[in-house]
Amino acid sequence: MEDSFAELVRPHLEVSFRVAYVITRDAAEAEDAVQDALVKAWRALGRFREGEPFRPWLLAIVANEARNRRRSAGRRLGLALRAAAEPVAEQPDRRALLDALSALPEEAASVLAYRFLLGLSEAETAAALGVAPGTVKSRTSRALERLRESYA
Amino acid sequence: MPELEHALELLATEVAWPATPVFDLRVAPRRRRRWLALAAPAAAALAAAFAVPDSRGAILRFLHLGGVTIERVRTLPPAEERPLATTLGEPVSEADAAQLLGRPFAFPAGVHAPLYRSNGVVSALFSDGGEPVLLSELRAGSNPAVLKKIAGASTNTTALELAPTEPAIWIAGAEHVFVAPAAPPRLAGNTLIWQRGTLTYRLEGKRLTLERAKELARSSVG
Repeated sequence: MEDSFAELVRPHLEVSFRVAYVITRDAAEAEDAVQDALVKAWRALGRFREGEPFRPWLLAIVANEARNRRRSAGRRLGLALRAAAEPVAEQPDRRALLDALSALPEEAASVLAYRFLLGLSEAETAAALGVAPGTVKSRTSRALERLRESYA
Repeated sequence: MPELEHALELLATEVAWPATPVFDLRVAPRRRRRWLALAAPAAAALAAAFAVPDSRGAILRFLHLGGVTIERVRTLPPAEERPLATTLGEPVSEADAAQLLGRPFAFPAGVHAPLYRSNGVVSALFSDGGEPVLLSELRAGSNPAVLKKIAGASTNTTALELAPTEPAIWIAGAEHVFVAPAAPPRLAGNTLIWQRGTLTYRLEGKRLTLERAKELARSSVG
């Protein structure tokens, strides 16, 4: 059973960690959040509805755990996204865009990070944000508008 | 797609996320000790890529950095001291090596040596201060030709950064074992492993110091 669970979650570990990082803004906290979320997901597996997509379900647990950790930590860090060295160094526009994204308010930065940097679907983004799927579209639209203003 | 959305999608490939840790997937309730948060996505390929008998039962921890895995064990598997050239593989031209790596092989400043390839790993053996040093480069990620280090419980393993986006691990002190595909395990010298962009680098020398290893690594340019 544990082996099956491991196989089930393994493809989603990287995105889970990054979702947790977007929330906690701290790699070590994100690591602990995912580790604890895996235990909770394992315990809650009986409540997972067969036929439903697994990733949004897992991301919801991960994001919830990450939010709890951030609340406990009682601190708000900026979203420190860094560019991989070489490609962006040659493209100052992209570096500026990354800086502008990182400087957005949390709600806007998170939805854009999920949708565009992590490539999450609307359903997955909704799960990670803990909001209704319909909210993702409007939040994305507002966040893009803010980014456009600050990046222009 | 509007220009800004497109630019964000392009940006996705260029963000340096913190390295994904190796998670404990044995989910019986217990806390895992936070250690080094260095990782890469090649874990699933490892069991098939390597066969080191009698070590897995005593594994203390896996670490992944790019295409290199470091496995800490209580007892090292049998291995002999072998020349660094043991794992070099076949000679390869610089052009072919560049094609394999996606960029030219990054020699340290002032160094030039013949290149060799073995299962996607490109290596050069050169002399540094009269001592042989082996530099290997490989693409990080899903390349199945990953390298493995097996470190005993008393081996010193230190996480560091060569640069803000270049995580590294220094392995020194007590003996450790180096395993490459299609080569017998051998005892390894002091080793610096680092990730730069899409490539993983491994620098090994028996008398290599951390300071010298960092100098060589920082001066490595393709």
